[in-house]
Amino acid sequence: MRKITGLTMAAGAIAGLAMMSAAQAETLKLGLTGPKSGAAAAWGIGFEWAAEQAAEKINKAGGIKAGGKTYTLEIVSYDNQYNATEGAKVAQTLLNRDEVKFVVGSIGTAPVKALQSLSERKGVLIFTTAWGPSAKGPSFPLTFTQINTPAEVLDQLYGYVAKQHPDAKTVAMLNPNDATGQDTEKVAQKSWAKLGVKVLSSDWYERGTTEFQPIATKLASIKPDIIDLSTTPPNDAGAILKEMRVLGWKGVQVVSAGTSSASLIKVAGDAVEGTYMGLAADFDGPAATPIQRELNKGATAANGDPLNVITIGAWDAVMALKAAIEKCDCVDPKKVAETLPTIVFESSYGPAAFGAKDVYGTPQQLLVPTIVTQISGGKVVERQRVIPPELEARLKAAGK
Amino acid sequence: MDLYVQLVVNTLQVGAVYVLFSLGLTLIFGVMKIVNFAHGEFFTAAALSMAVTVPWFTGALGLGAIPTFVLSFCISIAVVLVLGVVVYKFGFERYLRDLIGSFIVSIGFVLLLEGVYLEIFGGAPRVIAPIIPGVANILGAAITWQRLAIVLLALLITFGLYLLVTRTRLGLALRAVAEDQEAAMLQGIKYKRVALQGFLIGCGLAAAAGAFMAPLTAITTFMGSDFLIKAFIIIIIGGLGSIPGAIIGGFLIAAIESFGGYYFDSSTATMALFVLVIVGLLVRPQGIMGHAER
Repeated sequence: MRKITGLTMAAGAIAGLAMMSAAQAETLKLGLTGPKSGAAAAWGIGFEWAAEQAAEKINKAGGIKAGGKTYTLEIVSYDNQYNATEGAKVAQTLLNRDEVKFVVGSIGTAPVKALQSLSERKGVLIFTTAWGPSAKGPSFPLTFTQINTPAEVLDQLYGYVAKQHPDAKTVAMLNPNDATGQDTEKVAQKSWAKLGVKVLSSDWYERGTTEFQPIATKLASIKPDIIDLSTTPPNDAGAILKEMRVLGWKGVQVVSAGTSSASLIKVAGDAVEGTYMGLAADFDGPAATPIQRELNKGATAANGDPLNVITIGAWDAVMALKAAIEKCDCVDPKKVAETLPTIVFESSYGPAAFGAKDVYGTPQQLLVPTIVTQISGGKVVERQRVIPPELEARLKAAGK
Repeated sequence: MDLYVQLVVNTLQVGAVYVLFSLGLTLIFGVMKIVNFAHGEFFTAAALSMAVTVPWFTGALGLGAIPTFVLSFCISIAVVLVLGVVVYKFGFERYLRDLIGSFIVSIGFVLLLEGVYLEIFGGAPRVIAPIIPGVANILGAAITWQRLAIVLLALLITFGLYLLVTRTRLGLALRAVAEDQEAAMLQGIKYKRVALQGFLIGCGLAAAAGAFMAPLTAITTFMGSDFLIKAFIIIIIGGLGSIPGAIIGGFLIAAIESFGGYYFDSSTATMALFVLVIVGLLVRPQGIMGHAER
């Protein structure tokens, strides 16, 4: 009898401890929506990997503490196939079934717009890589942009290209015919015009296109000095550059949303040599931070593709969220959204902040260096790095 | 002049694969009277099989480019034929000449197979190194030797199918079943056996198209779906169940993509294809080479 009583007491004590521990350490689900299949899969796969690394690091360090509780992070990720239909399905799943209150990464303007239509109504805070300006601004108080976008990237990238190739006076542009492409094209047209580069043509193609010879034939026949494949995903961009090389066109190649040198080279081989990109980064280069080097090494080993500006954005969003939750001492998405623009947090690039109210009307754009890269000898080489003046001022004010 | 030759060459290289893929779809419809939405999955299976076997033969076994391609091609066809038998026996056999039933079954197979491919191969695109390097020049138009070889092989297979359908007993049975299944059975033709044979020939054609496309494009687990939409446009325009219709439709669609893409842009050319289908259905619903139902 005594033995049974003892066992019962021990079991009760264990159960009590477990309950106390459960009360103190809760799980905070963080959503992620990106393409994990198709032409842009490299982005979604790397994105998920980076978010998981950030969550693991925070969990190992004891989680996030807020409101007297400790939260361990769990990444919940789905494939949005880079289209609005799948994006809407993923949004429903994340917000209604998984009941996430924070989405730490979302890729693709079209799927992000589908997500926003639900997240803003349900009071869910989202971070996004969406390039389209139409996904930003005062109408979206809970949407934060986690990477540099056309307004931050294009002037720097095109300006550098124009400086390196002063004889290049004409450009032919190509974009996917969706929200990402359409939003970016308008900004790109203005950026090229400011530099005195004439836009000979600005064409569209459908995502899911299987044959790129007709597109390459048209681009090559215009005989532009520069080809700007803009927001064309890596595999499609590689296929077009390969076909253009077959047709004998040689000129300046720009992929402003270009990120993945590995995917480009895999598809197009030597044809991508010299291509300028606006969203790639040499995270092994001399300007990379120690954490970027470490993450880049891990991503290359895990996914066969180095990290880039898009994929590392997931890490930065998780870190920004942690800093904001701890500052406001709460997990209420609206209060966290109010806190985010007020903090300076430790991103993978070093201290970073949210700002750019003068451009978008709300201070919800991540302020990190803009990096211009070029594929040289089969590798991404950093050519130029510009730190936003607003970030410099914020860091100075914060004494960093 | 060079430009027009280039546009014609583009039409041929794009159209050859479209024709091959669409022939399988139209043959299956003709013989079995089913709309096989899972046709793209056979195309994908062959391409994925190439993505696995080509690096293995060249890397682990150190084989040359041509033997590698031939062996991988044969394995891809075999894999798809086995898959075809499974899909037929566990699905379509029960829904022969049942448009609605087969439609639902084929959609089920699409979801199942896409899920299986994604689970096994992952979402990241795979790329096969070029098998035949170099660029050929035809009257000023550029085309890779690899593309040229594939166009010739695709045309050869199309011609082989034409001979099979017009000159063999199996071809005669296929045509008889497509024309009037009951009359064919009264003549002693075993319908289910001919239906299986027709289905497997269709699968084989999809597999050949997938294996040919594998060295030319990034291989993904969804690539068959993109081709399937084009194939439906082709067979609707050419005439459901018509082999000459699939050939004409294939090259017509390729010409619209090539010339329309040049004079307008790729998106406009894609939209033009759908407009063409709408106009075609209104003006000549049976398609260019199809027969009107009486």
